[in-house]
Amino acid sequence: MDQFAQALTMLVTTPVVPAALAGLIWGILGGAMPGLSASITMALLLPFTYTLAPMPAIVMLATCYIGAEYGGSIPAILIRTPGTNAAAATVLDGYEMNRQGRAGEALGISLWSGVVGGLFGLTMLIMLTEPLSRLALLFKPTTYFGLGILGLSVIASLSSKSLLKGLAAALLGLMIATIGTDPISGVSRFTFGTPDLLDGIQPLFIMVGLYAVTELMMRSGVASKIMKPNASIRVRLPRFPMMKKIARSQAIGCTVGTLEGLMPGAGGTIASFIAYNEAKRWSKHPEKFGHGSEEGVAGPEAANNTVASASLIPLLSFGIPASNSGAVLLGGLLIHGLLPGPRLFEQNADVITGLYVGSFVADIAQVIIGILVLPLCIWLVNRPKPYLSAFIFALVLSGVYTVHMSLFDVGIVLSAGLLGYFMKYFGLPFLPAVLGVVLGVKLIESNYRRSLVLSGGDFGIFLEDPIAIAFFALAAIIMIGSLVNEWRAARARKASLA
Amino acid sequence: MRRDLVCSAILLCIAALYYVATTGIQVSTLEDEVGPRGLPTVLAALLAMVAIIIGVRALVSSPAGAGDETEAEAHWLRAIGMLAIGALYIPVASVLGYWLALALLILAVPAYERMKPSWRMFAVAAGGATFFWLLFDVVLGVRQPEGILF
Repeated sequence: MDQFAQALTMLVTTPVVPAALAGLIWGILGGAMPGLSASITMALLLPFTYTLAPMPAIVMLATCYIGAEYGGSIPAILIRTPGTNAAAATVLDGYEMNRQGRAGEALGISLWSGVVGGLFGLTMLIMLTEPLSRLALLFKPTTYFGLGILGLSVIASLSSKSLLKGLAAALLGLMIATIGTDPISGVSRFTFGTPDLLDGIQPLFIMVGLYAVTELMMRSGVASKIMKPNASIRVRLPRFPMMKKIARSQAIGCTVGTLEGLMPGAGGTIASFIAYNEAKRWSKHPEKFGHGSEEGVAGPEAANNTVASASLIPLLSFGIPASNSGAVLLGGLLIHGLLPGPRLFEQNADVITGLYVGSFVADIAQVIIGILVLPLCIWLVNRPKPYLSAFIFALVLSGVYTVHMSLFDVGIVLSAGLLGYFMKYFGLPFLPAVLGVVLGVKLIESNYRRSLVLSGGDFGIFLEDPIAIAFFALAAIIMIGSLVNEWRAARARKASLA
Repeated sequence: MRRDLVCSAILLCIAALYYVATTGIQVSTLEDEVGPRGLPTVLAALLAMVAIIIGVRALVSSPAGAGDETEAEAHWLRAIGMLAIGALYIPVASVLGYWLALALLILAVPAYERMKPSWRMFAVAAGGATFFWLLFDVVLGVRQPEGILF
């Protein structure tokens, strides 16, 4: 009851509402622009949050994620181009509905399903996060080290087609994390006499470089094949009979979204496709799927919006992000000195309550904001691509400068962009690298060395902690499983070629 | 396959360079069991191992392996050109100041993307730079780089 009263007070006494609305609008606009994923949209927002207090900053980032998931469905329905990867499944029936002259209806179903999914995900987040985070009270330095290794190995295995490339990316991230002052002895590492590097490289710069600058480079010179959406389309929210009709599909989306949100590396894209398939399997009219089925829009949209909140559960409880967007949010938490885990709930309860309240406000406000900003989204999608690239570039360079007011940081971001381009070129995934940068020194190295200091250099300390042993064993099982899968896939490919 | 081999060679070079840099880390009297060189040395060794395995796998796998799949869309030279525009912003902003450097950037990107020069391009550049100046310097109160000249 106290928490409820605190939440209500927060609505009027803190900037949680404007922060939630600003994040939501930013997210919808970014998500609506093909090529800008939810994580890029969040990464572009990250430098702005640097100047804010922790609570509005985190609220803004979380609600931006919520907005981007709905925004992604707008071009998916209108021009058959998903604004975000997670909206790819929405194309299948959403665009078909548009072709049948039912674009407004499809957008309304997407918006309503987003609200349902978002509220369900938020309920799961509130119910599961704190109890799970209490588990972390049992953690010792050895356990945290095991958790870091498990997190990195899971992400490396699941976020890429190749475990080896995922591992290589994670190692590159860890290497970047070692730049700066050594956390135990205070010796400077890899700074090459540059004072700007003594504090290390902020994960924020790596994220903005990898996600935003790399995307600008990838799009350079590539002709835009995007269709022009009709500017006169308006959202038509579903009426009660339609709400009833799509309820089963939404329930499937919410369940799948929660399960996928809990799993590191899965994310909204996988969730929305699984939800689409399951909604089709359980539908009374599976034959309509692919031909403009309302359920085919509702399922994936409910799923990817549930993921936006559910993926915060492992992030806030243990500091392990489940997706790229989660990694950006983790970066936002760390920028403001907030470490995920039980202490976050004790020492920064206002941030957590603000996050819940802000997400709730964003989920509800989405219905109105989603309708109001649609014309602006269509206007943005219709702008020439070179101008959009120029403005994004200008935003990146100006935003990054605001962090330390240093052009050196701009150079770091551009270097990260170059690294990201070559990583993409060679098929190395970003998420393990980002996670390596974020978790590297703080979680893995510090706890590893602290454990050895405690044991007087005896490596046996890692075998005395049963939770750490479980984490190591799980990491090994996942990695071996991933290698076996890769080997099987390669054999199948060879057999099909023979 | 060739792409994976090149990737393997580059990763191996990074591992070697990183290891060489590791040897330059100072020894501290406050050093613990592992020391500041501990993790970097392990990372260099692990990256070298992973790079070698990627290379060997590329050599033994079929020529039409999945390793040649790429997500890259733009030609690498074009992509580097886009990055160079961003890199040029740093010295230009130091000399000409934020507004002018940003206007030039907003002008340069569409020109580089082969947009036909028009008065509109200049208007968008000037309007864009003014918008960002207003947003950062005036609304958010964050001073953007001041140039030697402006």
